[in-house]
Amino acid sequence: MAAQIAAVLIFIAMFVMVVIDKIERQYVTLGCGLLTLGLVFGLLMRDVNAIVETLNLKSIITLEFWGLAKETAGESTTGINWATIIFIAGMMIMVEGMARVGFFRWLCMMIAKLVHYKTIPIFITFMIMSFVLAMFIDSITVILFLAAVTVELSQLLKFNPVPMILSEIFCANLGGSATVCGDPPNIIIGTSLGLSFFDFLQNTGVIALVCLVVTVVYFYLVFRKQLKGEVKTSANKSEISHPRVIEAAAHPIEEAVNVAEMPDPKSAITDKKGFVISCIIFACAVILLVTHAQTGLTVAFIGTLIAILTLITSGKNMGTILKKVDYKTLLFFIGLFIVVGGLEQTGILEVVAGFIGKISGGNGMVMVAIIIWCSAIASAFVDNIPFAATMVPIISELAGASAGIDIRTLAWGLSMGTDIGGSATPIGASANVVGTSVAAKGGYPIGWGKYCLKVAPATILVLIVSTIWIFVRYF
Amino acid sequence: MAEQLIISIGREYGSGGHRIAEKLAKRFSLPFYDRNLLDEIANEKNLNQHDFHLYDESPRKFFSSRNVRGYSNSPEEVVARMQFDFLKRKAEQGESFVIVGRCSEDILKEYEALMSFFIIADFETKLERIQKLRGVSREEAEAIIRRHDKKRQAYHNYYCQTKWGDARNYDLTVNCSRLGLGITTDLLEGFIRAKLREQP
Repeated sequence: MAAQIAAVLIFIAMFVMVVIDKIERQYVTLGCGLLTLGLVFGLLMRDVNAIVETLNLKSIITLEFWGLAKETAGESTTGINWATIIFIAGMMIMVEGMARVGFFRWLCMMIAKLVHYKTIPIFITFMIMSFVLAMFIDSITVILFLAAVTVELSQLLKFNPVPMILSEIFCANLGGSATVCGDPPNIIIGTSLGLSFFDFLQNTGVIALVCLVVTVVYFYLVFRKQLKGEVKTSANKSEISHPRVIEAAAHPIEEAVNVAEMPDPKSAITDKKGFVISCIIFACAVILLVTHAQTGLTVAFIGTLIAILTLITSGKNMGTILKKVDYKTLLFFIGLFIVVGGLEQTGILEVVAGFIGKISGGNGMVMVAIIIWCSAIASAFVDNIPFAATMVPIISELAGASAGIDIRTLAWGLSMGTDIGGSATPIGASANVVGTSVAAKGGYPIGWGKYCLKVAPATILVLIVSTIWIFVRYF
Repeated sequence: MAEQLIISIGREYGSGGHRIAEKLAKRFSLPFYDRNLLDEIANEKNLNQHDFHLYDESPRKFFSSRNVRGYSNSPEEVVARMQFDFLKRKAEQGESFVIVGRCSEDILKEYEALMSFFIIADFETKLERIQKLRGVSREEAEAIIRRHDKKRQAYHNYYCQTKWGDARNYDLTVNCSRLGLGITTDLLEGFIRAKLREQP
């Protein structure tokens, strides 16, 4: 009992400190993780086995972990999810390699050029691009580049970038829900429950695609008036007047902008050879992820392979790329998994699962509804990664204890709830924080009111669509 | 003015510190920055200054903002950092100016040209001043003063290692209730001129 109370208190303290954000979050989770290992497992439980299971180091040296064994062992939700950490580290290295050669800026500029720098087509294509990129790359990187280019284009083309940035953020979170590698909660769910890229694509991917259509229509209707100040393109330099965004925010714009004066997408490429190599590595990563159910290779293997390829081909830039990797997030994950391991080993998560099972009366639809909406509401206000890490063992318990409930259905509900719910507020997901920060630095501060007024209804709309879809398809 | 001179004035709400800063700017013929700093930044960046003023000299709200990989989505923090960068750039370029608040005594402390003052006043003096300036009742004035000072303190102490109003962080801390705004300004002017004369 004392161990259970201590585990819960440590977990609550960790959550509160992460929310308050006074101490860097990796220190918070690692500190709480150490406390879990020492106080809960060591002092109160006196259980060395719990420490070994939670650290989960043995799993890394098995062939199954890398997808190299002929037969795979059953998936485990216990302890540190090293597959998630290794995969995220690998993707970070690949993305840093791509960013270094200018891939993302080139892509954004290229698409803007292809739609002839027209505001509404840029608005729609950037939303779709945000969705597609976020399916494979972490949403922070996607938004970092998209939002920066959007601010840059807004100054050249004289439009208010806020509607576009808000739509891009939402679509990045939505795209992240479509695949196993799109968003950290999905990586945790996928690696813990043994769900493949195609498992996600055929389930959450389809829901996300339907929701994308709804989202594009919604944001178009909501923002069309603000975006109507579309710029006429012109080949005549003399027609160009210098843009003033102050005026752009207040008045519709009918001035002409010279396409020839726009930045050349090629100018974004800093290293041509590196650019080609990065594109090839990215294509390899996508192919390996799409086919990993067939090849049997795990995401940990794929992450390691693409990281090694990126580092080998980056030559003298290897050190720069390694320095830019977000080690703080990786450490945050390690501490987080240990704290959640504390809840798991002390049986707290079984109690929570039992409670959900009880209030749902064993009804699968009620269970899914609770998972989707509770995950969404929680993720709107607290980081969705700790939430997903906590919920995975809970849904495993729920599915095990309730006859006729498929764990996959619960997993899709959890994925959609955590990924989409995070969009509702400016602090719900990392992409929201980075996107609104880039907008503010560009001179467009976005407060809670402005953000929630437009994005929260979209979140609710998409959650309703997802809930109905899951009910109709799986029950 | 040949030598660079940066005058930083911190102040309690209602103390008249802002007025003193204006007078000093006039006496030394220096550019004066307060809220207008944001207009300068907005003009520089070709942006709408109205959006910035909403978040001027406000502390970061912990429960409604987050930091991710060094990116903060607190509009208050972004606006504050923009002002700090602007002031540092001006100082770096060797410009002289008077700046009111904005953590200037802390963020510009590495510059030898900086002279920093903190203006306080007796609570009664502040009450009278605010009642007169804003046409509000005594109770309302009291609430306004407390609210503003609390906000300034939270704002300052979030961005600086030093504490707001702590006399150790300023060249001089003056209670202007004792001598009035005019003589206090004379006193500060004398201090500044004396210090300028002393400089090699």
